[in-house]
Amino acid sequence: MLERTARLTDETARLLADEAAAPAAGGPRRLRVFLEVRPAISPIADLLILLAAVAVGVALSAGILIAAGVPPGDLYYEFLVATLTDPQNLSAVMVRAAPLILVGIAAAIAFRVRFWNIGLEGQIIFGGIAAVLVGLGEVGPPAVRLALMLAAALLAGAAWVVLPLVLKLKIGVNEIISTLLLNYVAVNVLLHLIYGPLQDKIDNFPHSPELPAGSRLPLIGWEKLDAGLPLALAVAFIVFWVVRMSRGGLYMRFIHANDRMALAVGVPITLVTAATVLASGALSGAAGFLLVAGQEYRLTPSFFGGYGLSGILIAFLARSNPLGATVAAVLVALLFTAGQSLQVFFQIPSSAVQLIQALIVLVVAASEFFVRHRIRFARTGGAR
Amino acid sequence: MTAFLVNWAAATPAFAVPFLFAALGLILSERAGVLFLGVEGFMLIGALAGAATILTLGPYPIVALVVSMLASSLVAILFAGLVVGLRVNQVLAGLAMVFFAGGLTALLGATFGWTNVAFSGLPKLSFGPLSDLPVVGRILFRQDLVVYLAIPAVIAVQYLLTRTMFGLKLRAVGENPQAADSAGVAVQGIRFVAVLMAAALIGLAGGYLSVGTSKIFVDGMSAGRGWIAIALVIFARWQPWRALGGALLFGGIEALIPRISAVGIQVPQYFMLMTPYLITLAVMVWIAVKKHGSFGTPAALGVPHVREERR
Repeated sequence: MLERTARLTDETARLLADEAAAPAAGGPRRLRVFLEVRPAISPIADLLILLAAVAVGVALSAGILIAAGVPPGDLYYEFLVATLTDPQNLSAVMVRAAPLILVGIAAAIAFRVRFWNIGLEGQIIFGGIAAVLVGLGEVGPPAVRLALMLAAALLAGAAWVVLPLVLKLKIGVNEIISTLLLNYVAVNVLLHLIYGPLQDKIDNFPHSPELPAGSRLPLIGWEKLDAGLPLALAVAFIVFWVVRMSRGGLYMRFIHANDRMALAVGVPITLVTAATVLASGALSGAAGFLLVAGQEYRLTPSFFGGYGLSGILIAFLARSNPLGATVAAVLVALLFTAGQSLQVFFQIPSSAVQLIQALIVLVVAASEFFVRHRIRFARTGGAR
Repeated sequence: MTAFLVNWAAATPAFAVPFLFAALGLILSERAGVLFLGVEGFMLIGALAGAATILTLGPYPIVALVVSMLASSLVAILFAGLVVGLRVNQVLAGLAMVFFAGGLTALLGATFGWTNVAFSGLPKLSFGPLSDLPVVGRILFRQDLVVYLAIPAVIAVQYLLTRTMFGLKLRAVGENPQAADSAGVAVQGIRFVAVLMAAALIGLAGGYLSVGTSKIFVDGMSAGRGWIAIALVIFARWQPWRALGGALLFGGIEALIPRISAVGIQVPQYFMLMTPYLITLAVMVWIAVKKHGSFGTPAALGVPHVREERR
């Protein structure tokens, strides 16, 4: 009996205490989390958040690779020591960076006019096919053969984006789906060619014959480095100039910010969008040219492999800035090169590189939440 | 000719089922306002999970399909956390999830030896004498369990969306999250649940690819079906019954392709293989021309909801 009374008293006391903590009007006092939209953020804080996110993404990726059986010491060695101290490996990274810079910029400029060009791979494939056709067919005088191959690749890449572009501008077909579907079509065209009319008659493997010496990018005197990187850097600076300094770049910023307002102030939206998207396709095509003329020297069933995803990743990490894309492309090239040696030494499938890139995109995308929003904690209830 | 048509009609349901379940999942997610571009990747997760279950636990196809659904939902917690919780751009997150899932399934499949290993999957059911009926028997009474679940699934999704409180809230959240929020609906909660349910259905679609039809897991085996399903949902105007029609259409096309060369019509193989994508594109153009594209689109599709954000 006594025990029960004591328990009741305890309960009453607790109820009374709760009531005291939450005065009349406000209900129970508790900690609430508010989400606020941040009006602006300093560029330094923005960059710090980006770098922190990349670091988290890299750490997670390292964790996955270690879990998949790569010893941590070897991971450090392959990624940093072996690639950065050995000139041959470093030049291999730079060679690989060139097409990545081009696809990164291709994705970036399309995003600047709000066109999700997910068809980078298809455009790379057609760029590669066009370049190889010119190279194998020995079209034009040998002195300008490479220039002709590049021109053909630019045209073919741009041509492959014409259909999604027209469909979007004229009747509003979603370009994400249309460009993606055309990737599958492009892959099948490539397979048809290398299992059929373009198959190498010498070894009957599913790839095209090798390009003759005059159709390959010349080395420029340091290890394996070829003319691809200077070309890509030149493109990066030209595009940087266009988007930063030119009237077209201003129009692009208008369209990105608010296309209805852009229309109201007289920006030629259709023209600027079309030109930009065609340039995006052409640059992807040029990346295909660099892949066949500088790395594979022929069409293979997967010469475009992974470059579409990487283009999107690079554009996203660089916030669609062409010079930022150059830096991001070198990092992704490092990942590609190190991934290849992991594949050789530890049988890690090449898809691990894809997983790592996707993981970094996801972490960086998640981090933007903290760029755009501020989380505020506040006590509610008491003060009302 | 009759034999050709019967074969074709009998093969179509198995090709239509992955499209249907993926489309039903997409409808749930997109009616709640979340653009689910990751379908292609989540189908791979389901396919690998199903194959892995059979290869490790033994030939229990139903268990495998349930594991496919669970695995897909589990990975979808990450996706939902990003797009619903952290308001990440849904296009970007969806694309990244496709590549994430592609890389993850390839890595896991290779690490544990689940890739390219054949197993015994979901058997075709037999209804005794019914299955032996001419024509009808082969088309209607010799399918597997999941095919028979297709129409109940459509009814269930339709019922959920239009006849339940949850469905009403789900649609409200997809059409006007601000209004739903003012009315006391937990916008983020409903969206989160919708994404997980969608992922379960998409995982089933993927699991059916490995456990039901191919009876093997191969890297990237969803082969663009996820993207086709996204187009199919636009074609279906986000309505479950129309999705059934769309799934039969695309399934029929896919079932037709291996049969065309079998009857002696010579078309280069890779041109045959690209037809589903071209037909999907043609359907999208047709929808856009008929101006039905925006009709039925959930108004808040792809728009994250932040309570204190001014629009």
